[in-house]
Amino acid sequence: MKLLSDDDLDLAGMSDEELAAAWDLWFDLAQATNDFDPPWTHGVFAGIREWRWERDADPSREPGEARVAADG
Amino acid sequence: MENVFLALTEELNRAGRIAVLGSGQAVVWHRLAIMSKDGDWILRESAEACRHVLSVLAGHGARYRPGAPLDPRWLAGGWSSHFEFSDERQRRVRCDFFSRPPRLSRAEIAALFSAAQAAPVVDAETLIRMKQTQRAKDYAVIGELARRLPPDRELALTTDPDRILALAPDLPESTRPAAKAARAGDRRAVVRALADEVDELQQRDRARLAQFERAAEPYLAAFRSFDRPELELPDGHAHLVELAERLLPIHPREEGS
Repeated sequence: MKLLSDDDLDLAGMSDEELAAAWDLWFDLAQATNDFDPPWTHGVFAGIREWRWERDADPSREPGEARVAADG
Repeated sequence: MENVFLALTEELNRAGRIAVLGSGQAVVWHRLAIMSKDGDWILRESAEACRHVLSVLAGHGARYRPGAPLDPRWLAGGWSSHFEFSDERQRRVRCDFFSRPPRLSRAEIAALFSAAQAAPVVDAETLIRMKQTQRAKDYAVIGELARRLPPDRELALTTDPDRILALAPDLPESTRPAAKAARAGDRRAVVRALADEVDELQQRDRARLAQFERAAEPYLAAFRSFDRPELELPDGHAHLVELAERLLPIHPREEGS
């Protein structure tokens, strides 16, 4: 039973340069979801799914950790 | 073009091994999947290591995110420290540090910093144990990582029922419930045993994090009063230490129980 997709598992066949390029493209695309990310994905705060920075209520501020996320 | 987290790992370790890359970026390094946009490192628990990391991050224009100060006192209590900066293409780079990864002994943690460890990246078995979290998606990664281990270790750690069914007959010494079920030829029992095991691991991780969450409540509430510029390195560190000395217990189990 495969637990990850063929696309995921193909990384082993890539050269270092191909892997770096694939990761770079993926990281570019992943920026689009920054505002929807959970506040923490690692460490001991990762169990907190909602955390609001009071000052985020000010619309002049950049969006930050004021999100409820479905997944880390 | 370079993975910013791998480049940062190299930069952090330039003067000696102090930071070992873990979790999602280690999965990338092991060429298993591209699955995390954050980096996390197991840090050598010393004042010197903390100072060096803070200096490197300050050079990148980083600021603290909500979390403990990067100080060996709180790291020793199991806390984690969190930072963020933008790379030269204005992409968000989040960096997390801790020195006491769960489910690893002190000796196993120390071994990560030994010269015998070729790269500053956690090995597959260590990564598996770090991935035994409350998150369901981590268990798919565990199944794939386990394929890289010797058969007896794969049987001990895999989350793939088919691999357990394939391996268990040749490894009768395994007492893992799923392996016993596999030797009895009962696939459904293998699947149920795995589900029970994963649920137990998830519940244990959830309970562990709940202790930290309770203990951090007053500190995080006060953290909200900071303006983001106040959290920029290097000065932000002193602000967090001052706050943590007042409101963040070093050992959450004592304070949070």
